[in-house]
Amino acid sequence: MNQWTRPAVALAAVALVASACGSAASPAASPAASPAASLDTTPVTITVWDYYGEATPIRPAVEGFQKEYPWITVAYEALDWDSMNEKFAVGVAAGAAPDVATLDMTWIPTLASNGVLEDLSTLSGGMLNGAPIADQYNAGADEAMKYDGTYVTMLFDFDAYALYYRSDLFEQKGIAVPGTWDELRAAAKALAEDTNGDGKPDTYLYQVWPDTFHYAQFLFQNGGAILTDDLTAAAFNSSEGVSALEFNKSFIDDGSGIYWGPDQGDQMAGFKDGTLAMFQNGPYMMGVLKSGAPEMAGKWKVATAPFSKQPGSYLGGTGLGIPAAAANKDAAWLFVSYMLRLEQQLGVYTYAGAAPATTAALDSPELTKPDPYFGDQAPFGVFLDAMKTATHFPYVESWAEIQTPTMDDAVAATLLGQSSAKDSLDAAAEETNALLK
Amino acid sequence: MTLARLRRQSIGYALIAPAVVTVVVFLLIPIVLSAYWSFTEYNGVKPPTWVGLDNYATLLTSPRFQRSIWNTVVFVVLGMGLGPPLGLATALLLNRAMRFRGVFRVAFFLPVMTSLVVVATIWKMLYNENGLINEILRLFTLPGHNWLSDPNTALPSIVVASVWQGFGFETVVFLAALGGIPRDYYDAARVDGAGRWAQFRYVTLPGLRPTILFIYIIGIIGSFQVFDQIFVMTQGGPVNATRTMVFDLYDKFNSLHLGEASAVAYILFVILATLSWIQFRFFGEGDR
Repeated sequence: MNQWTRPAVALAAVALVASACGSAASPAASPAASPAASLDTTPVTITVWDYYGEATPIRPAVEGFQKEYPWITVAYEALDWDSMNEKFAVGVAAGAAPDVATLDMTWIPTLASNGVLEDLSTLSGGMLNGAPIADQYNAGADEAMKYDGTYVTMLFDFDAYALYYRSDLFEQKGIAVPGTWDELRAAAKALAEDTNGDGKPDTYLYQVWPDTFHYAQFLFQNGGAILTDDLTAAAFNSSEGVSALEFNKSFIDDGSGIYWGPDQGDQMAGFKDGTLAMFQNGPYMMGVLKSGAPEMAGKWKVATAPFSKQPGSYLGGTGLGIPAAAANKDAAWLFVSYMLRLEQQLGVYTYAGAAPATTAALDSPELTKPDPYFGDQAPFGVFLDAMKTATHFPYVESWAEIQTPTMDDAVAATLLGQSSAKDSLDAAAEETNALLK
Repeated sequence: MTLARLRRQSIGYALIAPAVVTVVVFLLIPIVLSAYWSFTEYNGVKPPTWVGLDNYATLLTSPRFQRSIWNTVVFVVLGMGLGPPLGLATALLLNRAMRFRGVFRVAFFLPVMTSLVVVATIWKMLYNENGLINEILRLFTLPGHNWLSDPNTALPSIVVASVWQGFGFETVVFLAALGGIPRDYYDAARVDGAGRWAQFRYVTLPGLRPTILFIYIIGIIGSFQVFDQIFVMTQGGPVNATRTMVFDLYDKFNSLHLGEASAVAYILFVILATLSWIQFRFFGEGDR
């Protein structure tokens, strides 16, 4: 794609949308708390962009939504995560944004600070499906949905990390489930095997991701923070941050961990061929494992992520957002509200194997049933606990660049042995401080 | 002007109108708009704010963008150093009377017709830790390598994939040009006692001069715009080792820094315009 294509696409989209907007919007009464009789029932079509993929709980719910709100037609469009990231930016820049979109929570700071997202506090009147929004989420999630004190997204699923481990191997080798960093290292060393005799472990390894998501987990567990409390300067290069990164690298140094870069390919192959025996990730991986490696049923379990000083994880997930430029905001809010009802929220777990976000869904017995895939463990509770101590990434305008490439590069440079943890983080902190000015 | 002539001209204008409108809407207006945006802080949502040369100054003093320029130059130099000579060598081989010549021509040109994304995906699998390349190395008891995770080998690995994809085009163009060199020249050279190397040096190469200029101008412009392979294979990593100018442009656009993204586009334009002028000025003299 040459340098002119994107502006040209944007320009074309502007023209298209300008012609489409004339007859699009229709005012409607506040939908959340109002009976259907008071709604404006002028026929309207809303566009929904969804990055969930094949196992989406959103597409199956569209029919029920249209049945309940027969004057609203949903134009559903499936995208993958990468495409959404690009297309949403282009759509917003071109004024061709959808009415509703699934948005990664890590995108929210950039989108909200640029005025892209609708103020949902005003649109909803603070109510969701007849009850205050704040009563329907736990405190951490409620805070994560706000920018400058107003709701800019509604959390649809959450992401917080726990430890996935090969329970069959732990049992075979008599390894106890780790609860601390030291125990995690000991377990990784005890698991790793050198099967080709080159003196380097190659099987049953701990997965080391070179990214901010995983580094932040160790940082938070070690008592560190990404930015200072007033969000004006980097704090990740503190002694806690440096030792957290050094700990992450120790798995590479002693061979018990594997740097998971572009040469390693699809991690599912790593699970299946035995390269990986432990990794830390979010609840969505339960669904990924079940659908991608059904033959491994009974071999995996989930445990609270081992920590040094305190439990901790990044808090992310998927939010449902309505762009400020959306043509049909009231109908869009009806759709968002419908997707956050208990039935649809349970679909997040049953369809996608991910973790719903509302407390009604989290309290549902559906989610706490023993799961044969995980050796009759009820793994969901582990993630629920992780969510309670998880921290969302800082809501600053330049977060997208602070995370990628600034912090990601510092983590990768250390893990690849290009520079020490302290030097990498200091350099990244300097860059971060410049971005925050 | 007669009515008939006016009518004739109207038909002409009507016929070219779609092309003109397309060029104006999709080329000229974006060129002007992005030139303006490059001097503004603009996120696509709020109105642009004039910042003068700030975007250019920020980019040109940024170590990461400097690295992007350097990586792009390395990609161009390696790609242009390998691709055209390989294309020429292949064309010279295929230009001789041989069996299955047509099959070989098609085989070399097939990757050119294949999507770059597909090619990049295939090469990413070849470079995989347990991919074909490492397996072949292990057959000879050599250690495998993390080609795309090692900052020292990531960019050269992408260059190899890109050259493989593109040299078939150069082969076909050189083949066509070789066919245009009169046989008499070679006959005369042989009569004068010229050997194979002398024939190549004094007949073939001068005969290919305009083609070589064409290949290098097109190739350099294309190489400076490298993006697809980087996006698919490394996402600019590890640690900026494969970050290029167009990848930076994409990154800026994605983070809603449309002003800086436009400035990257204009810096790239200036570099390409300058290089093309130099090529025409110093290497295209003999073709006037």
